[in-house]
Amino acid sequence: MKYLKLVNFEINRFFKLYMVLVGMVIVSQIAGVIVESRSFIKEANMTIRELGLTYTSYAEDYGSLSLGSIMRSGWFVLPIALCIAGLSFYVFFIWYRDWFGKNTFVYRLLMLPTARLNIYFAKATTIFISVLGLVGLQLLLLPIENKLFRSLVPVDLRHDAPMSELFTFFDGLGIIIPAHLSTFIIHYGIGFMIVFIIFTAILFERSYRLKGIVFGGLYCVIALGIFLLPFIIVIYQEKMYLYPNEMFG
Amino acid sequence: MNVKFNSREPVYVQVMQHFKEQIARGVLEPGKEIPSRRELANQLKINPNTAQRAYKEMEAEGLIFTEGNLPSRITNDEQVLHAVREELILDAVHTFVQSVKTINVPLKDVLDLVKENYERNE
Amino acid sequence: MIEVKDIKKRFGRKQVLRGASFTAEKGEITCLIGVNGVGKTTILNAIMALTPINSGEILIDGKKLTKDTFEKITFIPDAITMLPQMRIADAMEFMRDYYKSWNQKRADDMLGFFKLKKEDRISDLSKGNTAKVNLLLGLALDVDYVLMDEPFSGIDIFSREQIAEVFTSHLIEDRGVIITTHEIHDIEHLIDKVVLLDEGVILREFNVEEVRETEGKSVVDVMREVFHS
Repeated sequence: MKYLKLVNFEINRFFKLYMVLVGMVIVSQIAGVIVESRSFIKEANMTIRELGLTYTSYAEDYGSLSLGSIMRSGWFVLPIALCIAGLSFYVFFIWYRDWFGKNTFVYRLLMLPTARLNIYFAKATTIFISVLGLVGLQLLLLPIENKLFRSLVPVDLRHDAPMSELFTFFDGLGIIIPAHLSTFIIHYGIGFMIVFIIFTAILFERSYRLKGIVFGGLYCVIALGIFLLPFIIVIYQEKMYLYPNEMFG
Repeated sequence: MNVKFNSREPVYVQVMQHFKEQIARGVLEPGKEIPSRRELANQLKINPNTAQRAYKEMEAEGLIFTEGNLPSRITNDEQVLHAVREELILDAVHTFVQSVKTINVPLKDVLDLVKENYERNE
Repeated sequence: MIEVKDIKKRFGRKQVLRGASFTAEKGEITCLIGVNGVGKTTILNAIMALTPINSGEILIDGKKLTKDTFEKITFIPDAITMLPQMRIADAMEFMRDYYKSWNQKRADDMLGFFKLKKEDRISDLSKGNTAKVNLLLGLALDVDYVLMDEPFSGIDIFSREQIAEVFTSHLIEDRGVIITTHEIHDIEHLIDKVVLLDEGVILREFNVEEVRETEGKSVVDVMREVFHS
C-alpha cells in the first residue's frame, strides 16, 4: 500500500533527527538520576559525618530524596521541552523541507500515482508515531530510572513512590502521560487535531501563498471556534453543563 | 552520416535530396539496405516523424522499396536511378546558370571558363 | 492528446496566463516557446495539477487528471525532483516502488547511455549529469506523455548533444512530448510542432515542416514575425 510506503519513507527522513531527540532524553535523564543522587548522597554523608547522624535521622531532619524531585530538575524538564519544541518545529518542517532549495521534492510527491491525501496522512502519521514513540520511551525509561535510583540511594535516604504516583510528581508529565486512558485520549486527540489544523493551514499557504496565509489563518480561527463552541455555549447560556448527566457529576 | 540542414526548407525534402546525392555518387548502391527510420533519425539527429515522411515520399517516387517486414532497400530500377542522376545534374546546372546570368557573362566565355576550371580540378 | 483549453492563472496581481489554449498530439514533439517568465512552466505545472488554475480546463486523452493519470503522463522539471542525499540507485528504487509504469531495463539502458554511476549521490553530480538523471527518472516510465521544462538550459554542450540524441531515439518515439524552451537552436530539427507563447496567450501554433514547406520560413523566421509585430 502506497500510504504505508510513504509513512515508512517519511519516518526514514526524520529518523536521524528523531534519534538525536531520543538519545538526548535517555542520556540527560539517566545522567540526571546519577548526578542528582550522587550529589545528594555526598552532601548527606558530609552532614552525617560532621554531626554524627544516622541515615534515618538525617532523612528525618533534612528530608529524603525522591525520584520525583529529580524529575522536576532540568535534567528531565529540558530534554522533554526540547522534544516538544523539536516536534512542533517538525510539524512545519515536514512540509516546508519539500519546497526547499532547487530540488523541490514536493513535485515528485504530488506526482505520485496515489491520492494526495495519502501524503498528508503519511506526514501526519509520522508526527503521531514520533510523538507516541517519545511518550513510550518515557514510560519505558521511568521504571529503569526508578531501579537505578533505588540502586544508587540507600533505602533510608530515599522516599519511594509507586509508579502511578511518579507521573503526578511533575505537572508537565501529567499532561504528557495522564493517569487515565480517557484523559490520554482527550489530550492526544486535541494535540493531533491541532496538527491536522496546522497541516491544512500550511497547505493553504503553499497553494495560494499570500492569499493562502489569510485563508489558513481564517481556517485556524474557525477551527478553534468550533472546538471551543461547547465552552462558548456554556458561558452564553449561563448553564454549567452540556449534557444532563453532567449535573450529577 | 552528417548533414547540415537548412532551417527554411522542409527537413524531409533535404533528407530526400541527401539520399539522391548519395545514390547519384554511387555511395548508396542499387539494392543496398538503408537504415530504419529510427536509425536514420538518430544518425541525422532529426525527428523520427520527419524521417518517416522522407521514406514515404521516396517510396512514392520509387527511390526505395520495402518487401514485407524486411528493411527498405535502394531501388534496382535503372530508369529511376538514371532519372535521379539526371535531376541532380539539371539542378546543379540550373543553379549555376541562374547565378552566372545575374553577372551578364556571354555563354561562350562561361563555357571556356567552366571547361578550364573543370579540367584543372580533375 | 493533451488539450489545454482557455486556462487563466493569476499570481497575486500578476496575470500569468490569460486564456491559453493549444493541443499536443501523441507521437509528436510539441515545443512551447517564449521568453523567460511568460508562463511556460506555469502551463506545465497546470497540466500536472501542481498549481491551481483560476479558470479553464485541461484534458488528457479527453479526461481530467486523476491520480491514475500519473501512470500515463510524467513531468521532468528543470531541477531534479529527488532528495539531494539520495544516490542514483535510491532514486531509481523510489520510482520503482511507486510507479507501475517504471521500466527498470530502460532505466539501466539509459544509465549506460549517459555513462552515469548508480552509486553517485545526486548532490555530488555535475549540472549536466543531474539533468541526465532527471531525464532518466522521467523517461524510464512507460508513459504516453512526457513534459519537459527547459531540458537544455544551463548545461554544457556535450550534455546537450547527448540529451538531444535522446529525442531521436526509441525513448521518445510514439510518445507525446511537450518541451519548453527559450532557445530553439538545439532542437529545431527535432520537433514537430511549435506553440508560441507571449504574455500568457498563445500567439501561434504551427507544424514546423508545414511552415517550411508552404511558407519557406524557419521557426526563427516565424518567431521574429510573431514576436516583433
